[in-house]
Amino acid sequence: MADIKIQNLTYTYPEKKEKSLNNINLEIFPGEFVLVVGGSGSGKSSLIRSIAGLAPNFYGGKSTGNINIKNKNLKKIDRRDLVQTLGIVFQNPESQLVMTDTEQEIAFGLENIEMPEKIIKRRIMEVTSALSLSNFKNSFITQLSGGQKQKVALASVLAMQPDILLLDEPTSQLDPIAGEEILTMVRRLNEENGTTVVLVEQKLERCFHFADRILIMENGEIIKDSKDISEIGKWSAEKNKSYIPPLSQLFAKAGYDHIPLTVKEGRNLINREKNNVYNKEEKRKTCESRKRKLKPASKENPILSIKNMWFNYKTKEEILKNINLEIEKGSFTVIMGENGGGKTTLLKTISGLLKPTKGKVEIQGKNTKKLQVEEIAKEIGYLSQNPKDYLFLPTVREEIQFTLDNLQIENRENIDKILEQLEIKKFADLNPRDLSTGERQRVALSTVLASNPKMLLLDEPTRGLDYDLKEKLGKILKELQKQGTAILMVAHDVEFAAEYADEVVLLYEGSIIEKGNKQDLLTKSTFYSPQISRLFSDYEDGIVTVQQGLEALSKYNQEVKHEII
Amino acid sequence: MKYLYSEKNNFIYKLNTSTVVFFIFTLFLLSLIFTHPIYLGTLFIITTLMIITSGNWLEWKGYLRLSIPIVIMIILVNSIFVKTGSNVIYQGPTLPFIGRLRITLEALAYGGAMGLRLIIIISLFCLYTYTVQPDKFMKLFSRFSSKIIFIVILSIRLFPLLIEDYKRIIEVQKTRGVKINKGKWIDKIKNALPIISVLLLSSLERSFEQAESMYARGYGSGKRSIYQKDIKRRRDYIITISTIIGLASGLCIFTAGQGSYSYYPKLSNPSLLDYRLYSILVITMILPAILNWGWKKWPILKSKI
Repeated sequence: MADIKIQNLTYTYPEKKEKSLNNINLEIFPGEFVLVVGGSGSGKSSLIRSIAGLAPNFYGGKSTGNINIKNKNLKKIDRRDLVQTLGIVFQNPESQLVMTDTEQEIAFGLENIEMPEKIIKRRIMEVTSALSLSNFKNSFITQLSGGQKQKVALASVLAMQPDILLLDEPTSQLDPIAGEEILTMVRRLNEENGTTVVLVEQKLERCFHFADRILIMENGEIIKDSKDISEIGKWSAEKNKSYIPPLSQLFAKAGYDHIPLTVKEGRNLINREKNNVYNKEEKRKTCESRKRKLKPASKENPILSIKNMWFNYKTKEEILKNINLEIEKGSFTVIMGENGGGKTTLLKTISGLLKPTKGKVEIQGKNTKKLQVEEIAKEIGYLSQNPKDYLFLPTVREEIQFTLDNLQIENRENIDKILEQLEIKKFADLNPRDLSTGERQRVALSTVLASNPKMLLLDEPTRGLDYDLKEKLGKILKELQKQGTAILMVAHDVEFAAEYADEVVLLYEGSIIEKGNKQDLLTKSTFYSPQISRLFSDYEDGIVTVQQGLEALSKYNQEVKHEII
Repeated sequence: MKYLYSEKNNFIYKLNTSTVVFFIFTLFLLSLIFTHPIYLGTLFIITTLMIITSGNWLEWKGYLRLSIPIVIMIILVNSIFVKTGSNVIYQGPTLPFIGRLRITLEALAYGGAMGLRLIIIISLFCLYTYTVQPDKFMKLFSRFSSKIIFIVILSIRLFPLLIEDYKRIIEVQKTRGVKINKGKWIDKIKNALPIISVLLLSSLERSFEQAESMYARGYGSGKRSIYQKDIKRRRDYIITISTIIGLASGLCIFTAGQGSYSYYPKLSNPSLLDYRLYSILVITMILPAILNWGWKKWPILKSKI
């Protein structure tokens, strides 16, 4: 008996013409861990919402076809029974919590279905200890971190003891460590309690290896449904789609038959096939040659120069300590480091939103101490974490004009050029708030680029983006860099930094502990190194991008084939 | 942003929310019905004692700093504008609008008493803010109307989020060249528009998401149960009963007319009329402070009550 059985499901949101789900047929069996993959707007969330009965019951719109949950038609299931069979966790931890403290939040769902107080108490005890939230039982929700909030959201759903758990990108707003923790918990629930899991997730490298089955969606349809990872890998490589993690993609593109999912598997594979063809001498050589490819940055007239800068909020401890940093024209630098290490604060001191308590920040030789934020804005663009904070006007074009008006820039020729460059010209007359996450971000970026800044500051721009959108963003940034814009970005995303940046700055407890080119910094680290370089760490140094990996792999593959022949 | 409430380790915080709320409400009611300076003074001392006992002395100082200037204003305005009263302390020149300046002892005393009442009420508000968890307070009333209470709880939860959003949006819009707090008032309003618009749009989107999460957890599917984790201990019964006795004695004093005091035209004799009722009131209302002291001195008391 299938837990979820969908027949000919088609769904259209209210006031929309195109179907968000088109003729879906699907059976999910008890205890299965199903990963749903697809680009933005492919219908992943709509599928989850339909299974949960939210579309059309909550969203409205038109739905045809049939959904059976545990052999019972969804339409005929009483809502109270449904919420105890099936739980859903959403993307944003902030906007799915409604009470003031953890315990009350967990009790909320149980109160709604009129559970007696005694059972509520027991369920709270159970879920808080299972999700290690016991110490935060009495904490106010606002005082919790993003990861803890998402744990509370998960706990409040699990308290209803559902057999099926639906998760709609639960880690997209979290930092990598918190995201990992949530996914590990979900995996444990699936393995130890037999909970059926349907997970929509962008960061495939974190969850691909524990899914039993992968569904790939495009344009509201399921275009691939398979349990065989290698098959999906090859299919994905053939069609040039990024529906598998970068590591698997690498092997698929290099033409391997067996597609590994983890670094460990990948290393075993190389090890088996290669038999250590390279010796240490050669390893060093390849490393040197890769480094030489990087052109040395010009040290004359840096755009940004920070000298002995300290920052602390009034009466609080120091957040930035003795920062010295120079950023040249046309450079691409990523700042990495733990949460609360001062990364965002550093960007804010550069953009003038915060003034240093000691030391100075100079932009093209001018001290920012006496400059207003809007004066700095002409030279330095700042894109914050949340693109929504920018958007309020009825059209995309007006948003860009708004920035130009404010900064008193007369030249309007730039608008169309930016719209084209960011591939948002077709949305120019649409409301930016109606666009998808990636599109909204590009609109926010366009408002920042309008003033033609010499330097661009970006705070976690890859958060919540899928591989395709990340690639798009990466290419745009590379293009800007080519035009001479200096790019300084804060990111947790090691893979993105490895692929696109040139230099890396490590910030720890408010101090810069290292700065250097990515080849040096990202290959020598255990945690701050991309999967690709961890894969090759025994054989070659300095491999950080997919292209470099691909070259190396193809080379090994050919050698192996050569030896066999 | 943080909530003001944070649990401290003393007797007051180990009481059930309903007990603390009832106690504070009783003090509030008594401060409204009494006009007698001695009773008001006594209530002030009791409130101060409670604030110190609950460990909120530092927080209270902030409240006092704000309220003392208001109290001084009340005394000044009352003594300048109210000219009744027979004991003239100062007689000055004729001023426009006011007429002849005539300050009487009665008007001064009346202003002082009203100021004292205001300080008591502000202090009680401070005590409430720091000792009562907002969720728990709301839950006390959810038996009557769960929907309204829920809206209030949600607003309390959303408020800090809104403040955070506001701060963030201001920063972002500044980097887009929006000049906040600059120019004439009309410019200020114009410049605030983008910020308010973004705030409104984002809040609407968030409320929609919250509603979805509530719906997915069965909200509105019928009758709700109420989970209250607070347990009642012996100490709650002791304090509740003693507060009831205190309230009763206060009402007796009031109905007997002893709680009021006539300031005009001449200050009447402020001597107490019934020492027995007064002592009952004082003892019952300082009981929490006494128990807190006893609790610290003899830890055994903790397990007994």
